[in-house]
Amino acid sequence: MNFVQNVAIGQYVPGDSFVHRLDPRSKLLFVVFFALLVFLANNPLTYAILLLFLAIAVAASQIPASFLVNGLKPVWFILLFTVLLHLLMTKGGTVLFRWGWLSIEEEGVRQAIYVSLRLGLLVLGGSLLTLTTSPIDLTDGMERLFSPLKRVGVPVHEIALMLSIALRFIPTLLEETDKIMKAQMARGADLETGHMLKRAKNIIPVVIPLFISAFRRAEELALAMEARGYRGGEGRTRLRQLAFSWRDGVLAGLAVVMVLLLGWWRS
Amino acid sequence: MQIAFENVSYTYGKGTPFAKEALSLVNLSIPSGAFVGIIGRTGSGKSTLIQHLNGLLKPTAGIVRVGEWTISPDTKVPVDLRQHVGLVFQYPEHQLFEETVAKDVAFGPLNFGLPREVAMQRVREALEIVGLSYEEMKERSPFHLSGGQMRRVAIAGILAMQPRVLVLDEPTAGLDPAGRREILDNIYRIHREQELTTLLVTHSMEEAARYADLLVVMADGRIAMQGPPAAVFAEADRLRALSLDVPAAVSLVASLNRCLPPERQLPASLYREEDVRAYLANRLKRGEEARR
Repeated sequence: MNFVQNVAIGQYVPGDSFVHRLDPRSKLLFVVFFALLVFLANNPLTYAILLLFLAIAVAASQIPASFLVNGLKPVWFILLFTVLLHLLMTKGGTVLFRWGWLSIEEEGVRQAIYVSLRLGLLVLGGSLLTLTTSPIDLTDGMERLFSPLKRVGVPVHEIALMLSIALRFIPTLLEETDKIMKAQMARGADLETGHMLKRAKNIIPVVIPLFISAFRRAEELALAMEARGYRGGEGRTRLRQLAFSWRDGVLAGLAVVMVLLLGWWRS
Repeated sequence: MQIAFENVSYTYGKGTPFAKEALSLVNLSIPSGAFVGIIGRTGSGKSTLIQHLNGLLKPTAGIVRVGEWTISPDTKVPVDLRQHVGLVFQYPEHQLFEETVAKDVAFGPLNFGLPREVAMQRVREALEIVGLSYEEMKERSPFHLSGGQMRRVAIAGILAMQPRVLVLDEPTAGLDPAGRREILDNIYRIHREQELTTLLVTHSMEEAARYADLLVVMADGRIAMQGPPAAVFAEADRLRALSLDVPAAVSLVASLNRCLPPERQLPASLYREEDVRAYLANRLKRGEEARR
């Protein structure tokens, strides 16, 4: 039993597929673009196009489907909630079911399906990005994409560095949490039962050591970076240069095709 | 308490692409009252093995027996097991969290439902065992102690539960030699006095030789060798093949034996530094007497 498991945020699955080898910049841009496209879809055909595209992308990424399903876990509740809300609140069309003042109507069912599809597509698209792009590539890509903002005084490099350090430390801190939880459980701490308030109180023996270790790590990291001559982004060269390839051309082409298809078939 | 592992396997992240088998088909039997040294290179499954003893990990296959408790893949971990199997993790000082040393050490005993007065009595005893003064320490913040003191306080936090089985994962990592020796001597003393069953995970062959009466050598999630220290250290080549070494005292005896004629060999039962020292002194003395 590992207590903190299955956290898909920032979980990168190394690989060498088509999707993995796309430039992080084009992947980032495409995910934003895809999110906009999802809002263009408004009938079965257009949703089918998006789903088909996602299925192809997943297949091309060679990421096991179980991973993507895991990525949906944190939004299950929201998904369920919106579905219920739409089923019960959206009215119109023929009445399918009535019980007292409660009724489920045709339009509600349609909206419930569309909204859950939309949410699912957004989350899956995002997960596919983080699953196929290493955190370093991701922040590199973001730094490059946002670098024009440097001219207006936005500390793009520093933000990107903070982001990549934060991402880098998610697994480390999770591991640390697991260790501390185990250590306190070995001392009889009860972390798994009880109501909310009791649990919140019981978590103190985990949170305090975790904070202390996070601060210690931060200090050590800062020292280690300075010891290796880090003094900000100015004049810093890169080990890995980002470069667009023919794959990114294919992606751009796909983006155009999808806009045309969706624009044509949306009602 | 007697401990037995029967065909125990454990896989981390079972059912995900990251699944990794950390233990495979481990069989191990530890008599009550033994002091067991567990050695093996990093990643050989030592830490996974010991976490089965108090049910923090449940075997994915096989059965672990600790005293009258049984831990199998589908049983719920018995609640009182953790009180009787004290597990000191690596760098246990990282788990300190209370305002005062006394409160931190009392955390375990109070969790297991002991009345405050009894818990405080145990805190006092536990701190004395690890060589700290209760009166001096009780009101101090655990975060304002030296590294060695923090380590002792954390170990006292486990001892205060008065476990029957004591499991220590590299309790001396990162301490100076004097501190190492003192902590382990203290642990060894209560092991004897309270007739505990003790498991010590260590990278130091000297520590293993000094305290253990049974050695378990792990490699790749399996038990590569087990037996009394003299027997394990006799197979120096096998240990080296597992990226391990023999204690300096054993190397010394082996080197001396290579120079000595067969009838004057040193016995292989010499593996503790003290024993070698005493034996050699004795033999030199006899040699001098014979020459006279």
